[in-house]
Amino acid sequence: MAAPLISQGEVEWITAGVSYNTRNDGRKREDFRHLKVQLGMLAQATGSARVQLGETDVIVGVKAEIGVPDADRPDCGRIVFGVECSPVASPAFRGRGGDELSSELARALERSMYPGPSGRGGGIDLSVLSIVSGKTCWVLHVDALLLNIGGNLHDAVSAAAQAALADAKVPKVQVVQGEDPSDEPDYEVDDDPSEAMRLDASGMPICITVSLIGGHCVVDLTVQEELCSAAAMQVAVDASGGVCGITKRRQKGIEASLAMEMIEVAQRAAAQLHTALSSSLAEQQGQQQMAVG
Amino acid sequence: MAGQREAQSVPWFADERPAEVIADGVRLDGRSLEEFRNVFLKTGVISQASGSAYAEFGHTKVMVGVYGPRQSERRVEYSEQGRINVDVKLASFATRQRGIFGQSPEERELSAGVQAALEAAADLASFPKASADVYVLVLEAGGGELGVAATAAALALADAGIELFDIVVACSVSRVDGCLLLDPSTDESFREQGGLVLALLPTSNEVTQLVSRGRWSGSQLREGLELAMGGCAQLESAARQCLKDAVVAAAAKQRQQQQQAQA
Repeated sequence: MAAPLISQGEVEWITAGVSYNTRNDGRKREDFRHLKVQLGMLAQATGSARVQLGETDVIVGVKAEIGVPDADRPDCGRIVFGVECSPVASPAFRGRGGDELSSELARALERSMYPGPSGRGGGIDLSVLSIVSGKTCWVLHVDALLLNIGGNLHDAVSAAAQAALADAKVPKVQVVQGEDPSDEPDYEVDDDPSEAMRLDASGMPICITVSLIGGHCVVDLTVQEELCSAAAMQVAVDASGGVCGITKRRQKGIEASLAMEMIEVAQRAAAQLHTALSSSLAEQQGQQQMAVG
Repeated sequence: MAGQREAQSVPWFADERPAEVIADGVRLDGRSLEEFRNVFLKTGVISQASGSAYAEFGHTKVMVGVYGPRQSERRVEYSEQGRINVDVKLASFATRQRGIFGQSPEERELSAGVQAALEAAADLASFPKASADVYVLVLEAGGGELGVAATAAALALADAGIELFDIVVACSVSRVDGCLLLDPSTDESFREQGGLVLALLPTSNEVTQLVSRGRWSGSQLREGLELAMGGCAQLESAARQCLKDAVVAAAAKQRQQQQQAQA
């Protein structure tokens, strides 16, 4: 991949700045860039959101389909995550170039949102997506598209996925059993949007990437800053501060006590981001209701 | 997993997953909460490879072959640092459901996980422009594959004579009904509310990989990590012993050959 280049001087400049708690754009180490969220801008999708985090620009669409539940979890619906790295955003994504990044992002999303094999411990209550136990359920396809890459993709994609899932309006389905119990049941899908089910987004975690630059914990890196960091931890944190998934990224190791500190930094940053996101969501959902009413 | 959904495997002998995995502080297989499964480690199991290792943790069986350091493939760019490529393959008969042809998302994730665990341990500057290929084959997946694969792969790297800052040991912890279980089996992790895998360079206490699943509160996570660190310390002595045994065995073999040559 033709990675963006950085000179040794720039690396030293950024590292020194971080050690004085001042970054190139004036932020402190634990400051996020401005998070801008727009909901429901894709008419064809069940739910959609566009998140802009500084220069990073991500759009997520949720499509609901009716499918078959997992054999392991007959009472639960499914959510399928996909991320497309389009060559529009970076020439490095030409051909199969973006495959690795897209599968990494999709797996990170899935791990934070999806419950463990026991069906417990996930960010979303999948049982509300069940229609007929073991037979039919809603399958939500959450597809993210990277429009512009300005650093900290993971966090932007995860915030966008949460917003899009919160925006999703899953139609109400009634199962009508025929007179003969051996008949296949009929499904009646209610097309009234005001009757549609909304998912509870409050339990969903947000991914926070905490990186190390010169031994200091930094969040929300720009592309330039990412090139200066040798180790990072991605921590998914839910609204109550619970940790819903950790992955270590990049090459270097992290001292164990520092690793715990990074998790705490992520918890602090997540609390701020959750408030910002939920107030933005509430405001926009209020406006939508006004428009419908 | 995509592709597996169409065909249903026939559950001939597969028992239901047990609903309770702990009774009175004893686990299904008779272990206490903070006890490893039977651990067996051995290096030098593949004659063609530069280095190799086999690890067995109860029913989890993993074989690793390391090839290189050798010239990087043409398509990768020039790099002053060496590369470690990891490819983890689950044997098609390793899991309950038959594996799919080609790399599954699970295998891709395992590969990335093992790679991150190893990269921080190897002195990449010692083999510039070259790459070491680490092939991991999971023969049987009985739980904790990522940890076992990382431990075995580090032994294989050591066996291949690649310079390491320290060996990597990795182990998993599951949280089931408020109890923390060291080195969980598949049945146990099936019932978990949270799980984590920790890979450590034991001498410097440096974390090279940390993956967690499920929901953890801050204090639970701290306890889980402490248990995993304790587990890694136990594994460290086993891993070092395994490497020592291999050296002693190699020396004995060489001596024997010399004696035969003289006779």
